[in-house]
Amino acid sequence: MAIKTDEKRNINIIDTTLRNGEQAAGVVFSKHEKIRIAKMLDEIGVPEIEIGTPSLSYLEREIIKEIVKSNLKCKLFTYCEAFPENIGYAVECGIKNVVINISISDIHIKEKYNKTRTWVMGQLRDTISEAKSKGLNFIVSAEDATRTDLEFILKVLHLAQKKEAFRFRICDTVSKLDPFRTFLLINTILSTTEFPIEVYNHNDFGMATANAMAAIRAGAVSLVTSVNAIGEGTGNAALEEIVMALKYLENIDLGIDTSKFRELSEYVSKASARAIPVWKAIVGTNVFAHESGIHADGVLKNPKNYEVFDPGEVGLTRQIVVGKHSGSHTILHKFKEFGIDLTIGEANDLLAMARAMAVDLKRPLFEKELMYIYKEYNEKKKIDDLE
Amino acid sequence: MRGINLLTEFSLKAGEKIDPTKIKIDDTTLRDGEQTAGVVFANDEKIHIAKMLDRIGVHQIEAGIPTMGGDEKEAIKAITSLNLNCSILGWNRAVVSDIDDSIECGVDAVAISISASDIHIEQKLRKSREWVLESIRTAVDYAKKYNLYVSVNAEDASRADMEFLLQFARTAKDVGADRLRYCDTLGILDPFETFLRVRTIIEIVGIDIEMHTHNDFGMAIANAIAGIKAGATYVNTTINGLGERAGNASFEEFVMALKYLEGIDLGIDTTLFREISEYVAVASGRYIPTWKPIVGGNLFVYESEIRASSVYKNPLTFELFGPEDVGLERKIIIGKSSGPKTLMIKLKQLGYEISEEQAEELIDVIREKALSLKRALFDSEIIDTYNMFFKKDKSKNNNK
Repeated sequence: MAIKTDEKRNINIIDTTLRNGEQAAGVVFSKHEKIRIAKMLDEIGVPEIEIGTPSLSYLEREIIKEIVKSNLKCKLFTYCEAFPENIGYAVECGIKNVVINISISDIHIKEKYNKTRTWVMGQLRDTISEAKSKGLNFIVSAEDATRTDLEFILKVLHLAQKKEAFRFRICDTVSKLDPFRTFLLINTILSTTEFPIEVYNHNDFGMATANAMAAIRAGAVSLVTSVNAIGEGTGNAALEEIVMALKYLENIDLGIDTSKFRELSEYVSKASARAIPVWKAIVGTNVFAHESGIHADGVLKNPKNYEVFDPGEVGLTRQIVVGKHSGSHTILHKFKEFGIDLTIGEANDLLAMARAMAVDLKRPLFEKELMYIYKEYNEKKKIDDLE
Repeated sequence: MRGINLLTEFSLKAGEKIDPTKIKIDDTTLRDGEQTAGVVFANDEKIHIAKMLDRIGVHQIEAGIPTMGGDEKEAIKAITSLNLNCSILGWNRAVVSDIDDSIECGVDAVAISISASDIHIEQKLRKSREWVLESIRTAVDYAKKYNLYVSVNAEDASRADMEFLLQFARTAKDVGADRLRYCDTLGILDPFETFLRVRTIIEIVGIDIEMHTHNDFGMAIANAIAGIKAGATYVNTTINGLGERAGNASFEEFVMALKYLEGIDLGIDTTLFREISEYVAVASGRYIPTWKPIVGGNLFVYESEIRASSVYKNPLTFELFGPEDVGLERKIIIGKSSGPKTLMIKLKQLGYEISEEQAEELIDVIREKALSLKRALFDSEIIDTYNMFFKKDKSKNNNK
């Protein structure tokens, strides 16, 4: 049985922000940005990163060479399609580890390569031989594996195993899996053979993270992630989600410095010109913003009522927002922050005014606006008292 | 070991066919969606969203919180008076006066919400388990006198002690509740845990279950699907996954995942997805990320060589459904990751034919340009580059 929930497990992360992340339509990282992102990933403790595709262009190779020269602690990989001539480009860059990718589904073999399964096996064998002759370590990556019959997946895996690949990567290229099918697939593979399995997910149906976690449950040992889930189409499994889900849902702490998550996310967001949605899981600025009466009140009594981990753990801060859904406790709390102790009656009156204003403005109120309301309220009260 | 039992369960369930007519969507864009910090809908927008949800084929709309009064109440009244095909539900605390407000608004269904976890009962409500059960009895009993459809919402069910959760569900069922809403309030479940908990409630208590999931760890959709696999029949969704913190299960993702991964077609008109997503994006002031699953503007935009050239040969190489299914379009852009084949397709679309050799040369120039501009090229820039390149090419030939 592959699941080892009771044991302490070593799970690996290989981040592909710099490879598949950059492949996202419209995204281009500059040389400086690529180097900076590689350094940041290294600093927070990501053990492995994919830094690019050397065969792409001369410029890409120049950038890869720079990163190789930066003396990072993490293991560096480049990516190549399974053509023997691609290995030379990786060697030129001074790289020691490569991901050798080949599509194994019938539809890809036919439409992408216009070839046969026999050709795929030959191509992989030749590329591996070339890599080995140059002294490279390699991962065999099976693209579109989730639309491939188990028999052929195992055949490719056995070749990888025989040739002493580092790991075998199962790619859910078109997001064909849900967590249950992921579990069954990985579990079945691991019941026939013992070999380190890595899983690569896409997010087409919003299940990249859940599928990755299911793979871990089934016994996979490595996951491919990207910062902010950046990647082709809907993107990949987000680094920050995977690390936190492993820690808080599976009790597996990778020792990554999560307090830098927001900073890293912001940097990648700027470099990729893709804003971080305020509601982005783990790193969105609204994840720790509470407006509704029930939630804000609950958080003020004890953050654990509505938070699993502290915002500081991912480099964020908690905010209590006053808007249409706020309750009187939030008002009491907010004014206490301003140094004003309100009575319950006053808080209720102010709440009604604040809600009306929020509906009118179609947004929550700034702290200043709360003070305006308070002033207005006091002036009105004074007049009422005089009358 | 837990894993072995799970595996057996899933294998058994995998063979069971789920009846699509039994699965219902209860959309809460107007309630939990609006409860998102910073989001306020105008009443006109609420009415428009309700109409669109009805047209698209949603079964129930959670229209708001009647007891908030004021504008909120007016909006709900306006929605119930539209006489839509779908059911209209009002959200309530387990308090009789809340239910009175719902009745006044003319809803046909109520959600009666109360916490099920000890941490919420002790720290938030500062009450006891007994008090919770008694509140359920009183509130459901009252709502049932008015012939309302009743959902009892078990808030923070994921952190509730399972034995108490079963007691909670049984209490609701005994006083006549129609369903139990399983709220993963903090988004802390994974699909396997979800499956087990939901399955347990259904087997032991035997009540209809609705899934209410949050996306704090990116698992809202997976958990909703897991609930359905375990036998839940309702799912609480929001357009664009709008909702508190990291949001709820997105309506469009859930519908498409059910259809394309689980083979369950709810008969929802998916071609309206992009339109309704755009409307909610504008009304909520939260843009649709271009990479958002199902409706993101970039999902059918191809730049990298392998994907682009394969998809234009046969879309099924990288797509499980087409852009027309969700109201989007397929498009090629040329950038750093593009290759000669992609460029040839693009130029052909723009009305230019070039040979493979020419494309090989031209693509190098274009990649360099993309890298220096740090973006993909506009069509006009591609044409410019093409023209310059071939002028040079011609003059080279003339010199020979």
